[in-house]
Amino acid sequence: MPLSPDALFQIANPLALAGWVALAFYPLAPRALGLVAFALPVALSVLYAALVLTFWAGSEGGFGTLPDVMRLFDFPGTALAGWVHYLAFDMLVGLWIARTARAQGIAHWMILPCLALTFLFGPAGFLSFVALTLALRKGIPA
Amino acid sequence: MTIALARPAMPSRLWQDAPVMTGLTVLMALAAIPILLAMGLDPRQFQGESIWLKPLKFHVALVIFCGTLAFYARWLPAGLSDRRGWRVYLGVVTVAILAELLWIGGAAALGTASHFNLSSPVWAVLYPLMGLSAVTLTSAALAFGVSIARNPATGLDPALKLSLVTGLCLTFLLTVITAGTMSSMPGHHIGLPVTGARLPLFGWSREVGDLRVAHFLATHALHAIPLAGLAAARLLAPAPARAAVIAASLAYAALVLATFGQALSGMPLI
Repeated sequence: MPLSPDALFQIANPLALAGWVALAFYPLAPRALGLVAFALPVALSVLYAALVLTFWAGSEGGFGTLPDVMRLFDFPGTALAGWVHYLAFDMLVGLWIARTARAQGIAHWMILPCLALTFLFGPAGFLSFVALTLALRKGIPA
Repeated sequence: MTIALARPAMPSRLWQDAPVMTGLTVLMALAAIPILLAMGLDPRQFQGESIWLKPLKFHVALVIFCGTLAFYARWLPAGLSDRRGWRVYLGVVTVAILAELLWIGGAAALGTASHFNLSSPVWAVLYPLMGLSAVTLTSAALAFGVSIARNPATGLDPALKLSLVTGLCLTFLLTVITAGTMSSMPGHHIGLPVTGARLPLFGWSREVGDLRVAHFLATHALHAIPLAGLAAARLLAPAPARAAVIAASLAYAALVLATFGQALSGMPLI
């Protein structure tokens, strides 16, 4: 019996949480924890790809208009795919923030709020980190 | 922003001798991972089996095919891989393989058939195009066979070299005959009724003729005949070893044609 989207949701969330815990403690073991925060998005991306292969053809909606996008989220399979997309990409942004901060000599405690924001509200956390690097006169981290 | 990961687990000899075939092998194997997971998630069925079984089988088959060619590439003539014509040809083969997998995977995602699908103008155009693509990718076996035959410096025992050449060339010839005939039919089964009794793993019918048996054996000539050649080269003197390879090649071709005839007459393998 295939796992339901609800059951998969229950699996995907703890995976994401584990990655964010790794990022919170990133400076303790940058190589190992960085690998964790990289491997988990890879795993989530595999799940995403499988979800799209499975559910995309059977759902309605699309990317063209807002109502189309909203309709995609009416289907549990595609809605879960969208959620896994957030989880995977947000964690990659978190990893990029942790690495960039380390490379630029920004103290880890200073980026903890940025990581928390990225975890909860993705782009807002990213924006806060860009603002932080500008405020610390580290230049644009690109 | 890169993690120093080890190179994908493939012997460096393969990367050295056949970077394109080895890279393609790795890519296809990795692409099978989401398909495997989709097979676990997707309740949709096609002809009584998971809709993802067929794409998975094609990934496995093409990983074995390309991995084998990458392994055999060490016996290609020196300098061949630097020739422009050869590189262009390998590029064409790569495109053909990827097109085939996209077509089969895409049809599965859409919940429809790939082979034998003439249900709409688009599918009806794609099917013969993909037949062309299949012949193109199978021709790689012929190209490897002919090139190895022309290489005077393989360092191989003559009987083993002969078995590689005949195995590769027969793979092309027998696959085109068996798969080509199959593609001109309405489906891979010959006969009625099909209630679903199958051989485990392979999925061949146990009730009616199944043309996939002969296609499978034909395409594995590039494994079976060199294995016979390896044994002959180890166990026999040069002249009888050569005779044994020729006999094994003829016997294998006969086996393929026998299973082909069996299926065409509507009888299952066993």
